[in-house]
Amino acid sequence: MNSTATYQENQTAWEKIVSFINSIGFSPLGLGLLIILAILPNFYPFSQEYIIRWLIMGAFLAAQAVAFDFTAGYINIVNFGFAALLGLGAYTSGIFANTTPFLLYAPGLNPWLTIWIGALMAGLVGFVLGILTLRLRGIFAAVLAWFLGIALMGLVNNLTELTRGPLGMNPVKFIETPNNLPYFYIILTMMVMIYVVLKLVVRSNIGLAFKAIGQNPDAARASGINPTKYLVFNFTLSAFFAGLLGGFYAHFFGSLTPSTLMHTSKTVEVLAIAYIGGRGSLWGGLTIAFPFVFFIEALRSNLTSLPGLHLVIYGVLMVTIMIYYPNGFSGFYFWAVAKVKSFFKKK
Amino acid sequence: MTTETPAATLTSVDLMTRIKDNLPVVVVSVFSVILFVLVGIEGGPPQLFNVIVTGGMWALLATGLALVFGVMNIPHFAHGESFMVGAYVSYFTFTPMNKFFLSTGSKFLIYSGPILAIIAAGLAGCVLGIIIERIIFAPLRHRTKEGWIMNAFLLTVGLSFILVNGTTLTLGPNFRGIPRYYDVPALEFMGAFIAVDRIVATAIAIVTIGSLWFFLRQTKTGRAIRAVSQDETGAQLVGIDLDFIQTLTFSLATGTAAISGASLLFMFQAYPTVGLTPLYFAWYVVMLVGLGNVAGAIFGGFIVALLQSATQLFIGLSWQSVVPTAVMILVLILAPSGIFGSEVKGIQEQ
Repeated sequence: MNSTATYQENQTAWEKIVSFINSIGFSPLGLGLLIILAILPNFYPFSQEYIIRWLIMGAFLAAQAVAFDFTAGYINIVNFGFAALLGLGAYTSGIFANTTPFLLYAPGLNPWLTIWIGALMAGLVGFVLGILTLRLRGIFAAVLAWFLGIALMGLVNNLTELTRGPLGMNPVKFIETPNNLPYFYIILTMMVMIYVVLKLVVRSNIGLAFKAIGQNPDAARASGINPTKYLVFNFTLSAFFAGLLGGFYAHFFGSLTPSTLMHTSKTVEVLAIAYIGGRGSLWGGLTIAFPFVFFIEALRSNLTSLPGLHLVIYGVLMVTIMIYYPNGFSGFYFWAVAKVKSFFKKK
Repeated sequence: MTTETPAATLTSVDLMTRIKDNLPVVVVSVFSVILFVLVGIEGGPPQLFNVIVTGGMWALLATGLALVFGVMNIPHFAHGESFMVGAYVSYFTFTPMNKFFLSTGSKFLIYSGPILAIIAAGLAGCVLGIIIERIIFAPLRHRTKEGWIMNAFLLTVGLSFILVNGTTLTLGPNFRGIPRYYDVPALEFMGAFIAVDRIVATAIAIVTIGSLWFFLRQTKTGRAIRAVSQDETGAQLVGIDLDFIQTLTFSLATGTAAISGASLLFMFQAYPTVGLTPLYFAWYVVMLVGLGNVAGAIFGGFIVALLQSATQLFIGLSWQSVVPTAVMILVLILAPSGIFGSEVKGIQEQ
């Protein structure tokens, strides 16, 4: 009697924990993996500086994929100017934190403050982009975002007094430290924050509205959803986080050039991760980004005689998945879970 | 399709309604004329000729883009890579061939060398188009048509990524170019010196667009292509082989892009990402005249070239990509289906 009671109690305690974890947007497995990821760089093979750098890049790409999927996977508009928005955040933050006197404007603010200015700036442009794409759908919206991205990149290239144009600028770093570990925790915190915020948004009624708009804007409008509000909100939020990540990039790498940051091919890299991870899941891209960066970086460092091979594999994977397995990794995960469950039920 | 009204009955009211009906076209035409005059005054005949050369090339590229969109509903993002392939093929055929021809000393062979290289590039482009269509689009088309436009677009994005990086992988990031195709002095025309290469490039653009036009209008296969672009099911009902038509269309588009890449080799050296600028401009053209509008693309090519020239002259070379982009954003917002308001099948589903 007693033992069953404690068992019952345990069960409910576990369930309580699970429901709490779920309420902040994770599954128990996901949270476990995240904790492992967080303590990983403290142990030997992963504590080497170059591996920590890979982990940082993984987290950076993962966070980008989440912010990108928030638009592409839910309201079904591919934001082709994503990298440009990110670059806008990076440049804004870099300029406001700039201390170099030979540039036009050098307020030299604290980078911890300026990344938020950069995020707000990107969010503002995202807001405008959301308003501009209101009348457009699918391919037209994607092309408009693309053109806006090209225009932004051209602008950064040409405002040489502020950005030094193609020469690139060197923003100050967050912390003057030779090791990368602090930066890993910064980007990890950003990644978790972005994921939790966006997950909570898509799980609420707003997320339902997004999906409705993504599937059929006219039907959504007929059932009383105001597409204007949701579209603009979605774009603004996604762009805001893109700008925030751009700020991280600026003050982590300490070097910004338009073509390494705002180019369309950068958007394509994020898009590939989001699609391989699975559209409309948020966590798919997040999970797949880490093994992917490790795989790609290992390939790159081992095959230095073949520059570009890793990018070819990137593209081939993306095309293959889009043709033959459009659900991506998250679709595969759900399929596998369903298979395992039905297997146990049969027994 | 407008019926010709006799001049006598054309009152000013009629004229006004006509202008109202085609407002975007009228506005754009008026602007173009003003720009043309301004560019002519500021830059003189060399600039105007430049507009014609680049306009012809953008038109040639954009016709391919429009054709692919009109017939197959593919917004082709890898069109610039066809341009790149054309440039490479032309470089690799022209350089050894020219060496050999020079050693023979025959004038005829030396003069026909560039043409042969450009034809080779066009053929290689056609073959590439067939391969891409068969490997990438045919499987997807047979599997599902749901969300086709967006999926196809992203596929071409991936394809462009593969082609660019594959080229870097195999041929390296070096620039490969030739100083000129024809080693003859420039011709003098109205006080301006114009390189023979530019004249040849324009002639090739005109001939290619002309033969494409003739093919689409006058031959049975061309009519079948237009039938598919109007109504796929109807075309299938009258016995048109859809697969064949779509592969042919794609291969034609890739081939024409390769031809333009080859004939502009003296301007754009061959390197992996050379296709990006031409791709941008071809997209500006199709967005200006409306996706899938083949006839409009020819007109649009010159307008975009004019805009580009004007930006270069009045604002500065480095703003070349910013100003036309800003104008195209305006066009997209004000007239999303282009200034001719073209209706393409299936566009509203996405």
